[in-house]
Amino acid sequence: MTKVTVMPSNSESQCYFVQLQIDGYIDGDLNETQREVFTSHVHSCEACAQEFHYAQVVQDTFLELPQIDCDELVLEPIHRLSKGDGSGYGAEQVISRQSLLSQIRDLFISAPAFMRYGFPVVLTAVLAVLISTSVLNQDEVAPFNNQQLALESVEIYSPEEVFQALQDLNLAIDYLNQMGKRTEAMIGGRFLLTPLQDSINASFEKARIRNDEPLQNDPI
Amino acid sequence: MRAQYQQAIEQHRQRVYSFAHYSLRAKEDAEDVTQEVFIKLWQHWQKIDHSKLGGWLMRVAHNAVIDHVRRQRSGEANLDHYVDVDDQAGSGNQEAKFDQEIFKQQLQLAIKTLDDPFRSIIIMRDVQGLSYAEIQASLEMSESQVKVYLHRGRRKLRDNTNLRQLFESQFNGGSQTVKLVEPAARQAANDKGNSHAK
Repeated sequence: MTKVTVMPSNSESQCYFVQLQIDGYIDGDLNETQREVFTSHVHSCEACAQEFHYAQVVQDTFLELPQIDCDELVLEPIHRLSKGDGSGYGAEQVISRQSLLSQIRDLFISAPAFMRYGFPVVLTAVLAVLISTSVLNQDEVAPFNNQQLALESVEIYSPEEVFQALQDLNLAIDYLNQMGKRTEAMIGGRFLLTPLQDSINASFEKARIRNDEPLQNDPI
Repeated sequence: MRAQYQQAIEQHRQRVYSFAHYSLRAKEDAEDVTQEVFIKLWQHWQKIDHSKLGGWLMRVAHNAVIDHVRRQRSGEANLDHYVDVDDQAGSGNQEAKFDQEIFKQQLQLAIKTLDDPFRSIIIMRDVQGLSYAEIQASLEMSESQVKVYLHRGRRKLRDNTNLRQLFESQFNGGSQTVKLVEPAARQAANDKGNSHAK
């Protein structure tokens, strides 16, 4: 459905340009000369008159289209949102989440560059100091805790029990000393000193006997 | 802030909802868009230039409508709802008498079939009667761009087959006498007809 095909062949180009000007004429954008050419052509050309009539009907129908308002129910969640009523409506919850995130994002974006990057660095450093301090404190506290535990464990025994334990300990020490003396005598007499003395004495005895006998076939 | 926000809603709700209504096929979608627009108004209340609130709202509405149209075209979920209207409009071809209501319905359907920004500009200018400055602010275009898109959009609209057939059938192929309306008178009628939307 092209407009040009129904036009008279001798004025096709004129019809084409006049029809291009229909909206300009309707909006009052044509100058005096253009308007005169337009109106004279439309009065003489049935195809252009029909096209112009069609455009006028469409524009008139636009004017009859009503401005429509939405139901109050549509805007009820919006009113609740602005009143800060937390009940109902998932949309509001979404909005509150979005607004919080967007506020954080906006805050981050709007901050100067040195704050944007300096703040996380400072925050990380502070956290590192806090963590390391807490770890060191734990190390210092640990021995103290052990001593305290030892003291607490000593307090479990009565003085009589401690005295008995010391007696047992002294008895054990005496026994070990006696055992040490016996072991020393046994080692010195039987396994080390006596065999060594015997072998030395035997050597001296052999040497004495050899010196007492005369040498035979002595070359000298 | 709360009172000003409520006032802004009351002031602009009809314009926003009308725009969404004439842009989208389903009433529910228009309602969703209206809610989205005013939720965004609440979220961005502190950052908005309130002297340009009308333009800002229409720009948000325009973007929300585009998103809905994309979703609509990918799903084509709501077409069945409009089959009856199409049939009703088509049956008007058989009647000799011009039925303004049917033509109005068909015109609304034809608007919805337009691509953006033709659709948005036609709705803003021809249906809602917004000024070129308001449309410029809403769509971030120059005035000449808005006019070019408007005229091209109108021609596309008039090329809508159903709408043209309905017109031709009603007026017997254009045999009726054409009465030229002076542009000044039409402009006055246009401004008067849409004055409530401004």
